[in-house]
Amino acid sequence: MTSDREQVRSLDDPEIMVQTPATIYDAIPPLTPRTEREAEFYQLEDGEMFLNLGPQHPSTHGVLRVVMKIDGERIVDVDPVLGYLHRGVEKICEYGDWHHAISNTDPLEYAASMFSEALPVLAAEQLLDLEVPRRADYIRVLAWELNRISSHALFIGWLALDLGGLTPILYGFAERDEIVEMLAALTGQKLLFNYMRIGGVNGDLNHEFLSRLGDWMSRAGEHINGQAKLMNENEIFVNRTKGLGVLDRETALGLGMSGPPLRATGVPYDVRRAHPYSVYPELEFDIPTRSDGDSYARYLLHIEEIKQSLRIIDQVLHKMPDGPVMAKLPRLLRIPPNRAFAAIESPRGQYGVYAVSDGSDQPFRFRIHDPSFFNLQAVGSLSEGQVLADIMAIMASLDPIMGGIDK
Amino acid sequence: MRRTTDRRSLQHLDERLGDHLVVPAEAMGDTIELVIAPASVPAVMRALREDGDLRYELLADICGVDTGLTMQVVYHLWSPLSPDWVRVIADGLSRDDPRVPSITFLWPGAEWGEREAYDMFGIEFEGNRDLRRIYMPPDYLAFPLRKDFALADDASRGPGEGIRHMETPLPPGEVRANPVIRTSAGAGAVLGPDGELLALGAGSIALPEAPDAAEERA
Repeated sequence: MTSDREQVRSLDDPEIMVQTPATIYDAIPPLTPRTEREAEFYQLEDGEMFLNLGPQHPSTHGVLRVVMKIDGERIVDVDPVLGYLHRGVEKICEYGDWHHAISNTDPLEYAASMFSEALPVLAAEQLLDLEVPRRADYIRVLAWELNRISSHALFIGWLALDLGGLTPILYGFAERDEIVEMLAALTGQKLLFNYMRIGGVNGDLNHEFLSRLGDWMSRAGEHINGQAKLMNENEIFVNRTKGLGVLDRETALGLGMSGPPLRATGVPYDVRRAHPYSVYPELEFDIPTRSDGDSYARYLLHIEEIKQSLRIIDQVLHKMPDGPVMAKLPRLLRIPPNRAFAAIESPRGQYGVYAVSDGSDQPFRFRIHDPSFFNLQAVGSLSEGQVLADIMAIMASLDPIMGGIDK
Repeated sequence: MRRTTDRRSLQHLDERLGDHLVVPAEAMGDTIELVIAPASVPAVMRALREDGDLRYELLADICGVDTGLTMQVVYHLWSPLSPDWVRVIADGLSRDDPRVPSITFLWPGAEWGEREAYDMFGIEFEGNRDLRRIYMPPDYLAFPLRKDFALADDASRGPGEGIRHMETPLPPGEVRANPVIRTSAGAGAVLGPDGELLALGAGSIALPEAPDAAEERA
C-alpha cells in the first residue's frame, strides 16, 4: 500500500529521503493539510515552535499525545492526537453476544470499571424491559458508589502529583486500596470486576465484604476530612489551581462536557438526578455544584462528591432488602429488534450507550459515549495562553481516562 | 425503574417540528424519537437548542449507525425542562457517499464526535473544519464500523450471506454459529462469492514464508 507513495525530503536532514514521516518536522510540510484547522495549526508565526508531548509521558494518564504550538513558554495552540489505545470495542461488541459485551466494556474506564461494565447491562435491560430484583439494584448502587470514591480518591492524588506533591497520592492509594480489597472480596477481582450481569449481579454480599466495609465506613469520613485538610489550604496547591483552566457555563455545555468539570461551572447535571436510573430516586443526596469553573473548583467538587457517596452508602446499607440478586433469564439472550439509550453517572461524567438490536443474540450497534472523550476536548481552549507547566494541572483536573477515550 | 415519556412534551415537539419529521414523533420508553432527513439537521437542532420552551442544550451523544441499507447519524439531547431524552435520527444517508450538515456551529464539542463518526463510517460532515481521522492512522483506507467491513471472525457466517441487514433479522430458530473459522486475510478482507480471497484486509499480517523457501536460503 505504501510502496508506490512518493518519497519526500526530510526536514530534519535534507540529505535523507523519507517515505513515512518519522518526526513531527517530517510530518508538517510534505503532507498537504487535510483540513482547514490543520492548515491553521501547522502554520508557524515568527518565534513559534512545535513541541511534542507524549504519547509516553507520565502526566498524560495513559497514552495521549499532544502536539503543542508554543511561543517561549506560552502555549499558543494544542492538537491532541488520540488512538494509541484504540482497540475497536464497539466493533468487538458487535461480534460477541450480549453477555460478552460486559467483559469487553469492562476495561474502558479502568479506574472505575463498575461503571463501564454496567453499560451493556443497562442497555439490555432497557431493551428487554426487564425488572431487576430490588436487592440486586441496591447492591449495584453500593458497588458504584464505592468505586466512585476509590476513583475520586485517586484523582485527588493524581492532581497533586502532577503539580509536584507526592504525599496526597499515597493517601489516595491507601483509600483506594481498602476499597479495592473490599470489592475483591465481593467480586474476586481488584481492577476489572466483571460483576454486573444482565438481570442482576454476580453473587450476593458476603461476610468478608461486609466486615471490611463496616470497618472502613467507621473511618472513611475522617480520612476524607484529613485529605481535604492536607490540600484545601496548601498554599502551593491553591496558587497553582485557583483561577487556572477557567470554563464558563456556555462553553462547557457547548463542548458537550459532563461530570465534575460541567458541575464546576454551575450546571447541576448529574444523570442520577437528571434522568434517574436504578434506585437513586429512593436515596437522599445532593448534587454539589460550584460557580468558579477552575481547576480548584473541580478538585473541591470531588471532595464534596466523596462525602455524598458516603451518605448514599450509609442509606443503602440501612435499606438493603432481602431477596434474589438475579432475575431469571435464559442463557442465550435474544433481544427483540429495538433501540435504546441508557446513561449512567460515572466519576467522570455521563457514560452513555446507544444500543441497537436486530433480534439476534448479538448487538447490532453498540455505541459507547465516553465522558472523558468530550471533557478532554476542553484542553484546547483551556490551555491557550497558559505556561507549559500548567497544562499538566489543567489536564489532570479534567480527569481523562484514556481507556475510555480511545475505546 | 421503568419510566414513560411525558405526553405533553411529545405533543409539543410534534407540533413544533412537524414540518421536518419524516414519521410522527414517537415515544420509546423514556426517549422521544424524531426521525428527520439529513438536510433538516441544522434547522431541527437549532430549534431544539435555542427555543426558550425546549432548551435541549446538553448534547448527550452523537454517533453514526450503518443499518446495512443506509447510514444514519443519531443525536441524543437532554433539556433541564424535561426528564426525557430526545433522540434525533438523521436517516437515509446514502452508503456510497454519506453526507450530513455539521452541528459544530451549535455545539463546538460535536467536532470530535463527528470526527469519530467520519473515522468509523466515512460520514462527511459538511461544515466541520477539522474532519480528519481521530483513532485510526491518517493513511488508513477503510471505515471499520461499516457493516461491509468484515472482521476475520466474520468468515463463520459464510461468504454468501453478505451484509447483515437490521431490517431482516435472523429467522426464528436459527442461531448464528460462534466465530470458529479464522482467516489470515486480516480485518477488512474482501471475499469472493465462493469464499476465495480477493483482497487482503487493511490489518492483515504477512503470511509466513513457506518452509522450503526458508531452507533454500539457509
